[in-house]
Amino acid sequence: MTAASLARRPRAPNKGRAEALAGYLFIAVPMALFLVLNVGSIVYALFISVWKWNLRSGPVEFTGLRNYGTALSDPIFQTAIRNTLYYAVVWVPLTMALGLFLAVIVNQKIHGQTFFRAAFYFPAIASSAAITTLWIFIMAPDGIFNQVRGMVGLNPLFSLLGFTANQNWIGDQGTAMNTIILLNAWTTSGTFMLFYLASLQSISHEVYEAAAIDGAGAWQTFRRITFPLLKPGHYFVATVAVIGALQLFDQALIGGGVDGAPNNALMTMVLYLYNAAFKQFNFSYAAAIGIILFVVIFTATLVQRRLFGQAPAW
Amino acid sequence: MTSPARPIRADTPVAIAPVGDRSWAWRRRLAYTLLIAYAILMFVPFAWSIITSFKTLPDSVRLTILPDPFTLQGWDFAITKLTPPLPVLFFNSALIAGVVTVTNLVLGSLAGYAFARLRFPGREVLFLIVLATLMIPDQLRLVPVYLIFNGIGLTKGVGQYLGVILVVAISGTSIFLIRQYFLTIPRELEEAARIDGAGFFTTFLRVMLPLAGPALGAVAILTFQGTWNGFFWPLILLQDQGHYTLPIGLLFFRTAGGFATIYPPLMATVVMATLPIVVLYVFFQRYFVEGIAATGVKG
Repeated sequence: MTAASLARRPRAPNKGRAEALAGYLFIAVPMALFLVLNVGSIVYALFISVWKWNLRSGPVEFTGLRNYGTALSDPIFQTAIRNTLYYAVVWVPLTMALGLFLAVIVNQKIHGQTFFRAAFYFPAIASSAAITTLWIFIMAPDGIFNQVRGMVGLNPLFSLLGFTANQNWIGDQGTAMNTIILLNAWTTSGTFMLFYLASLQSISHEVYEAAAIDGAGAWQTFRRITFPLLKPGHYFVATVAVIGALQLFDQALIGGGVDGAPNNALMTMVLYLYNAAFKQFNFSYAAAIGIILFVVIFTATLVQRRLFGQAPAW
Repeated sequence: MTSPARPIRADTPVAIAPVGDRSWAWRRRLAYTLLIAYAILMFVPFAWSIITSFKTLPDSVRLTILPDPFTLQGWDFAITKLTPPLPVLFFNSALIAGVVTVTNLVLGSLAGYAFARLRFPGREVLFLIVLATLMIPDQLRLVPVYLIFNGIGLTKGVGQYLGVILVVAISGTSIFLIRQYFLTIPRELEEAARIDGAGFFTTFLRVMLPLAGPALGAVAILTFQGTWNGFFWPLILLQDQGHYTLPIGLLFFRTAGGFATIYPPLMATVVMATLPIVVLYVFFQRYFVEGIAATGVKG
């Protein structure tokens, strides 16, 4: 009664000003940090990238686009791009398929649904450094992976594929990247499972009931109904996955050091950038790589948007 | 498996339904067995790191489940002989993750409230900037942020802590999550408080903040986990070994520190890097799962 009539009274102008002032005060610290560390950073990175830069004295000599040209013509950077693309092309579909498979399973009416969901997501909670260190230990020449496959008699199969009993999975040029792909498919499949689960639960039951009445089997229902109706889910997971894949870094650095050993097998675009900045201390070159990387990621996102439809809710 | 080895033939004088039932029961049992096996497989590597941390060095490469002999040597080595030692790494990780969680809660709830409720010119544009920060890859910011921090002395001494905290002191995700939650709370509640003469800050603190529990819980868990596990910024901004966090310590031991194959203490460090998050996961699993599903942003 009184409250309602008071609320409907026109707002005094100085009250509006007080509200605006409070608003600005409440967001002041975050906006200041974003302004310097995000917006400012991009402008600063563009500026640095066209100079020869000295850590102590700043800009030394204007070089224009020379850093960009040097990067694109460096064979090691080309290797880094190739490795990163290879990783993306193999890891993204593999992990999406695994995540979708797990999501469909835990979306069924099964006993212990919560437990299985929690268990499948479990590998995703650990830090990349811990899980990679652990993985390298497991995949070492004398590690348990090689021992277990010997024990269960799989070695003939592996030697058929050209692997010795003491295969050095992370230290061999031919298997290093695939070993990282396997690790990240295992850890990230749980995250993608959760993404897909949210998407699966938005499909109405009526569609499935109609399919059941028409006598559709489980596989047919999945292929003709679930999979196509998950299109927004596919788009969202694929976008997140590709952005993540193009930024592969932690596992490559821990597995192969700052040079992506062995023989550049683990050299990725971000590792190349890190190498330029903190091994060669060539900051303007690293800034240029950062811009190139940003353009690549942005383009990939736009291309996916063109191919698969509209932007997600965020 | 207790099911018969031979399937019942179709022409045996048994009703069709039991045959179907039995084969379904068998299939279901197989499915559950596979599911449980796969679930166990998820835990095996972590269990292996715990087991190995209690083994001796020669025993650490043997495929045995029980350490023989059981020893605390690996832990003792990690705590006293590793450089930087395990307690220092743990302290640094806890300090940085703890402070960053608090700053995200304080700054995120203030800003989230302002973007949800207060009217001020430019609000929509400023909120777009908040969302845009989520799209900028950290690698693009590496050089400028490092040079700015280096220029103002945040890459030396205690400044390193400050630098690594500042760069993640507030995330767009935290603001976004809390704002979305505040939008769901009816306006009447705070209008009543406003009429009683409460200022904007008092209304926020006394009326709105106590209602935001679930959102604050999700932000706290996601921020703590993300910062505890953080790799990129600590790697760039923590220069002295004495300031390393657990993930950077692990990288150092493996690549430059010369401890790459001294497995028991290495695995003890892996256990310490993982255990706090596992404990959080056991108690607050709901926040992890819902937070990830709601934002679609990891960490």
